[in-house]
Amino acid sequence: MTTVLDAAMALLLQTGFVDGLIEFVQPDVLVEVVVRGLAKSAIYIMIAAGLTLIFGLLGVLNFAHGALTMIGAYLGGVVMVLTVGSGTGPWARLALFFVAMAVVFGLLAALGGSIEIALIRPLYDRAPIYQILLTFGVTLILEELVRIVVQFYGLQPIAEWQEALGTIPVFLDTSHSLGPISVRGLALFEILLGVLTVAAIWGFLTHTRYGLFIRAGSEDSEMAEALGIDVRRVFTVVFALGAGIAGIAGTLLMWDQVWGASVPLAADALLPAFVVVIIGGLGTFRGTVYAALLVGLVDATMTWWFVNAVEFSALPQMTIFLLLVLVLILKPQGLFGVAEVGGH
Amino acid sequence: MLDVDDIESYYGESHILEGVSLSVERGEVVALMGRNGVGKTTTLRSILQLTPPRSGSVRYDGTELVGLRTHEVAEMGVGWIPEDRRIFSQLTVEENLRVSVPDGSDVADALSVAFETFPILDERREQAAGTLSGGQQQMLALGRGLVGDNDLLLVDEPSEGLAPQIVADVADALAATASETTMLLVEQNLPLALDLADRFYVLDNGRVVDDGDADAVSADDERLRRYLSA
Repeated sequence: MTTVLDAAMALLLQTGFVDGLIEFVQPDVLVEVVVRGLAKSAIYIMIAAGLTLIFGLLGVLNFAHGALTMIGAYLGGVVMVLTVGSGTGPWARLALFFVAMAVVFGLLAALGGSIEIALIRPLYDRAPIYQILLTFGVTLILEELVRIVVQFYGLQPIAEWQEALGTIPVFLDTSHSLGPISVRGLALFEILLGVLTVAAIWGFLTHTRYGLFIRAGSEDSEMAEALGIDVRRVFTVVFALGAGIAGIAGTLLMWDQVWGASVPLAADALLPAFVVVIIGGLGTFRGTVYAALLVGLVDATMTWWFVNAVEFSALPQMTIFLLLVLVLILKPQGLFGVAEVGGH
Repeated sequence: MLDVDDIESYYGESHILEGVSLSVERGEVVALMGRNGVGKTTTLRSILQLTPPRSGSVRYDGTELVGLRTHEVAEMGVGWIPEDRRIFSQLTVEENLRVSVPDGSDVADALSVAFETFPILDERREQAAGTLSGGQQQMLALGRGLVGDNDLLLVDEPSEGLAPQIVADVADALAATASETTMLLVEQNLPLALDLADRFYVLDNGRVVDDGDADAVSADDERLRRYLSA
């Protein structure tokens, strides 16, 4: 037994575990990791929020959510590339970004609303597998359409759209130092947008009459209908909102080198969005927010750890899935989930 | 006020209502009685168009309801107090009431009506509705019917699953509610139902098999018992 422990200790020392631990708890390293983690959390919240709202009310697992995010990234990029010139100042670029976000939100909400009315509405009374197959099919169609359009304009669909990445204001693209701490401007901007998104959705759900309809309908849509609420219309509005939020997230990702506008962004965004939504508990907005915070911070910690302290750079990419497995084993309904959610 | 004429309703392929006809006049309390599974709940669901009848007609103040959507029926002033109450457990008591107030009505006025009728709801207004006791949840369900500005309430098994001393409270609550609106009441508790009702219908195997004035019968009558005891 002692020999096993000795061997383990020796291995830890050899792999630099103890050195890593000492370095990790340095204040500047900790702050940097936390900021990076919060930036990741903000992105996860933004790509998962629409998914969880839609599932909570409609009971539909929207596999097209990632494709909507991807389209949002391209559309946001189009607005930026068309309006930003080399002479455009950083603040003007920031202002144009918010214009792009508003445009993308509107277009994606219209697209989402149309998809709900034309394709999903006829399937509510069917088993969930029909909606999953349908939205999966929608993803394939949207991805192919975007691939065709992108190639037509001479862009590489697999690679990130560099021109769109280039429209980022200089103060977001560079790192800013505060004493010993150095943080990239974009990370802070992502955190800010994440906070604004959560506040806006939370305010809408808890402080408006329509939000009240959505919360009531999420719990019992038949009862809500019997109280005089046109639940079908609420479904369409929520699907449109969810798609619009996916588009906003995409617009943000267009500026982030790790993501960037590309066709594979659809899958790259869908996977973590599902992980976050499942960890939080399907359909609960609060759970999604907490899960995104957890996943983002754990992800950033593990990334730092397995890059700087222990050489095992493949592990960070698996971290969020390991976290998912762990949560599903310990609490199968998710951290904040109730046994039954969804309007159907 | 309400005229149900020869409706036939199905759940999937099972034929639940095989030609039910009944009527409710304004101001009345009408009891709908019968054993479990004879179609009482389905009758209420068919009136609301939650389970639209495949044939027959449901007229409310002369308007045909068959073909309308449930929220349209509700907007016309038909309220539903369902079996198991189905309050929104995650919402607060006040939000449960608020969500039931029709668009354009004064929310504060509507809430004060419910709180005057059921003061306990006022005390608990900030509480999550799921944390209320069974009797309080039933009062909330009735309160939701009251604030809905309804002229006709369809009340399904309000005393089910409640302790006897709570049933007395709920009976008082029902009486208070009935003084405000017309009511079609499904209730297994015969003394309670006959005490509140002006008239009754008895349902058996998806058909109306008896009806009459509530005063003319008592809970022990063989006339009722043969359809109601298991």
